[in-house]
Amino acid sequence: MTEMTLDPWLTLWKLSFSRGDRIILRDISLSIRPGDLTLLTGHNGAGKTTLLRILSGLLPPDYAELEYHGSKHPYDRQSRSFLRRNTCYLHQQPYLFDATVFDNIAYGLRRRGLCKQDITERIKTALQATDLEYLAQRHSHQLSGGEQQRVAMVRAWILSPQLMLLDEPVANMDKPSRRKGLSLINHMRRDGIAVILSSHDPQHGELEITRHLHLYQGSMAIKEQQELAPNPGIVTVNHRFPSP
Amino acid sequence: MPTEGLTWVPSSWPVIICLHQSPVKLEELESDVDTLSEASRQALYLLFTGDPALWTIIGISFAVSLRAVIFAAPAALVCAFLLAYIQFPGRRLAITLFNTALSIPAVVVGLTLYMLLSRVGPLGDLKLLFTQDAMVIGQMILCFPILVAMGHAALQATDRRLWETALTLGATPIRAFLTVIHETRFGLTAALVAGFGRIIAEVGSSMMVGGNILNHTRNIPTAIALETSRGSFAQGIALGLVLLLLSLALNLTLSSIQGKGEVIP
Repeated sequence: MTEMTLDPWLTLWKLSFSRGDRIILRDISLSIRPGDLTLLTGHNGAGKTTLLRILSGLLPPDYAELEYHGSKHPYDRQSRSFLRRNTCYLHQQPYLFDATVFDNIAYGLRRRGLCKQDITERIKTALQATDLEYLAQRHSHQLSGGEQQRVAMVRAWILSPQLMLLDEPVANMDKPSRRKGLSLINHMRRDGIAVILSSHDPQHGELEITRHLHLYQGSMAIKEQQELAPNPGIVTVNHRFPSP
Repeated sequence: MPTEGLTWVPSSWPVIICLHQSPVKLEELESDVDTLSEASRQALYLLFTGDPALWTIIGISFAVSLRAVIFAAPAALVCAFLLAYIQFPGRRLAITLFNTALSIPAVVVGLTLYMLLSRVGPLGDLKLLFTQDAMVIGQMILCFPILVAMGHAALQATDRRLWETALTLGATPIRAFLTVIHETRFGLTAALVAGFGRIIAEVGSSMMVGGNILNHTRNIPTAIALETSRGSFAQGIALGLVLLLLSLALNLTLSSIQGKGEVIP
């Protein structure tokens, strides 16, 4: 990473989210730089998926402020639209459209108005790079769980978003697929994409993790692991644990 | 009287049979008139030989009902989508009301519309009473709740990840909506078929606001009603058979469309 990439692309301030009486995320602030590979851990129900969905613009929080393009913005319709345009969220069990792998991957490229030939070439290159070329004309219903997950990762990666939000991306994969999946995630980081990857398992030795966030007991607590990061990116650490 | 035997078909048919020098002999009609199988055979004969009077009635039936479904479907789909995907106050009540509206008798819709469209009614100036447009409006009102209720059921069963995936891959909300519709096409086609089935066979509304005018607003169900009122039950059933056959043809076409189109819009 060059020094140019040290400026945060996005900073999130005072994020709070609750569901009914239950506070799920409280007063979280963090910054995201290009090329960050962040591991987000926590127990089931700790709020990992919620945080990722809020960052992707799919779920409005109770309160948050965002800083991008050099100024602060409330988390309003405009900010959600900005997040949707620049981030990509991958579900724990990704949804593939009722179509071939090629058409699935082409979906996002078509939305960006690329020409047919450009789309075909990009998809071919991406599938070659990820050893998935043989699946191109296969229907999505014919894929195994691991293949679906990798196709969904390629579908997101090909759009080169600023921020990639991966929810337990290698959970359904066997060992060889997992290795390929993790390699693709490293590849994304090297492409300058900021990646936040959630997992309840902190053992991701093959990943080039630059920082580690931890959510605790369904409410908010972030543990910083600065020693992981060549360019640590967390701007706020909040150790307030929920009262029982 | 020879003409009495000819009441087995809607009133204009015998004339046309004569004018077109149909091979169907009047004596044969008279002798076989009481048998259902013969009436059905005659109806099918007229159907497949392109009898103009029968095909006018069929044409009116399908033109009116297809227009009603096509006009009602876009708004119904949006309603179904909003009910399935958007949380708003009164949503549960709206779902209950649409489900209740499934039970509205066609004749009540017809009567209400008749009162609105009659010359002294609030919409009398539109001069729509006893026109195909009035029949279309009545049938739209009848099929709308079915399209919404069944469309909602189909969309409610979809995975929320579908909508979110489309959005996160850069689709605008409108494009994401179209993608959801495309992914739910089997359930939504079933809703369209059910809606069409409800109105192609309804008598009450068409009779009230259409008036059963030959070559103008007489469709298959009102023709059947006319035959039944004349005591020609077999002929009514024969016309029903024609309706079923044509519905089968339409459904076969629809199911072949369902099986195609793998590309996401």
